[in-house]
Amino acid sequence: MAESSTESEPVQYVEIDETRCNGCVLCMKACPTKAIRVRNNLPSIEGVCIACGECINVCPKGAIKAVTTGNDYLNGAGYSIVSASTALYPQFGEKVMPNDVLLGLRKMGFRHVHDQAYTNEIFNVAMELYVRERLVEMKSPFPVISSICPVVVRLIAYRFPSLLEHIPPLVTPREIVAREAKRRFSAKYGNSSEDVKVLHISPCPGKMICIKESVLQNNSYLDGAIGINSIYNSLKQNILEVKEDIVLHHSGGIGLGWAMSGGEVAGLDMDCLAVSGIQETIRYLEKIEMGLLHDIDYIEFRICTEGCLGGPFTVADKYQAKQNLKRYVRMFGVEKRVKYEYVKKLYEDGWFFTDQKKIPLEEKPPRISASEISKGIERQNRVEDILRLLPRKECGVCGSPDCRTFAEDVIDEKASLESCVYWQNQKRKMKLN
Amino acid sequence: MPELQRNFKVKFNDFMKAGDVSIQIQSILKAIGFDPDLIRRVSVCAYESEMNVVMHGGDGDVSLIVGPKDITVHVRDDGPGIENTEQAFQEGYSTATHEHREMGFGAGMGLPNIKKSADTVEVNSKKGKGTHLKISFNVE
Repeated sequence: MAESSTESEPVQYVEIDETRCNGCVLCMKACPTKAIRVRNNLPSIEGVCIACGECINVCPKGAIKAVTTGNDYLNGAGYSIVSASTALYPQFGEKVMPNDVLLGLRKMGFRHVHDQAYTNEIFNVAMELYVRERLVEMKSPFPVISSICPVVVRLIAYRFPSLLEHIPPLVTPREIVAREAKRRFSAKYGNSSEDVKVLHISPCPGKMICIKESVLQNNSYLDGAIGINSIYNSLKQNILEVKEDIVLHHSGGIGLGWAMSGGEVAGLDMDCLAVSGIQETIRYLEKIEMGLLHDIDYIEFRICTEGCLGGPFTVADKYQAKQNLKRYVRMFGVEKRVKYEYVKKLYEDGWFFTDQKKIPLEEKPPRISASEISKGIERQNRVEDILRLLPRKECGVCGSPDCRTFAEDVIDEKASLESCVYWQNQKRKMKLN
Repeated sequence: MPELQRNFKVKFNDFMKAGDVSIQIQSILKAIGFDPDLIRRVSVCAYESEMNVVMHGGDGDVSLIVGPKDITVHVRDDGPGIENTEQAFQEGYSTATHEHREMGFGAGMGLPNIKKSADTVEVNSKKGKGTHLKISFNVE
């Protein structure tokens, strides 16, 4: 099992190539948690990174790269099992079927290849059971928020902690695949599950969160994650050369469709919404925090526009890939191939629930004291005082993402008021007068 | 004791901007560091009363007063006023127009939700003279 990190060193999800960076402020402005500062012409991550990949997407110089497990996965690193995001399947054009992709992975050298699409369908049924249970018992709060996108979960944990209790304590399909593969593998070959390694092939850097700092589980069952782009060419070649003819793909269209926005909720027979893209996600989370949308049963959020197909590690154009995926859905049909009674039994046995019942989700954060609140109030008043001195151009030249954050940085002595060019101008004018 | 006061304007019928004040209040309270559940309660009330102003109130203003022991939200408008306050607090009672309902508002849950989420609510309203809502929360 992958070790969760300790609290001392913050986990890095992105790396900045200083030789390529020209010190523009686009990454800093794009960061939804305002974690980036550009000081002395170089960006650095000073706040909480949620691994959304926005900075990677906006960087005109290609200077930001996501940190993944690395490319030593094939050379005897012991990754026996590979589980791929279903976003991988439609990356190779309309003629390549999901089974071809899975066979291609086998040919590449992964001994065991698991189809996550089938687990997606199982998970859909489990989620229906979970939501219905809450509806019957009138267990608020609604809407239940999908836990599938790890970046959304992390965004909620940092920016919308009151919404953590909307997230179901169920293990995600990619983790179920890894857990069950390890179990089966150990039972069959007798090695302990520590020896069995599971690698995830991912459309985004976000999956590294599950491995390094999972919010939902104590420890991830996945041992590593690599981007679709890093194996793309090799896999494409292997798919062309596949001679083997066995069936590895078992799901219907619903399980396959998960990689596009709306794909997860397509498998749920209830009142749902699907929202994708970071700005929209934030807007809707704000709405839920205001008590809106409580008449909706379930919301699927995906940080990337159009869902996982829009992830920073994908290769095919997301709209083209979506067309391919829709073709699969038509071809394999929308009927679920899993047996309801079977999943219900698994659900009742606790098969879907996370290993930690104390889930940080249910743990109340420590109440802050009156004196801390007083300090917070004074601080916000000082922020306003500084903001009154600034012209609010929101330019970012000072090295902070916006004027308000700059004011906070000044109070925290991380920045000097002098680094605001407009403030300097104003001072000069005042002197002249 | 330190106190923070912020004032916001709300415009009648401006559905595009409706909810913005509540979001700003949310972010101020988050920056101070209040308990998430308290923030959620305040923002529910701020949103519902903001919507009331947008739908019925005419132009209005919202002021947020934050102290270490309590949070108070004043919502004032120069609209038609509330004729029967008791009725207005009943779930499902609504004076929303057909257009409001078509937009998904006007379910008659505004004031009842505010009452549920706040610690105290005071309404001062006279027909034709506008409405003043004082919503308070205790910080424990």
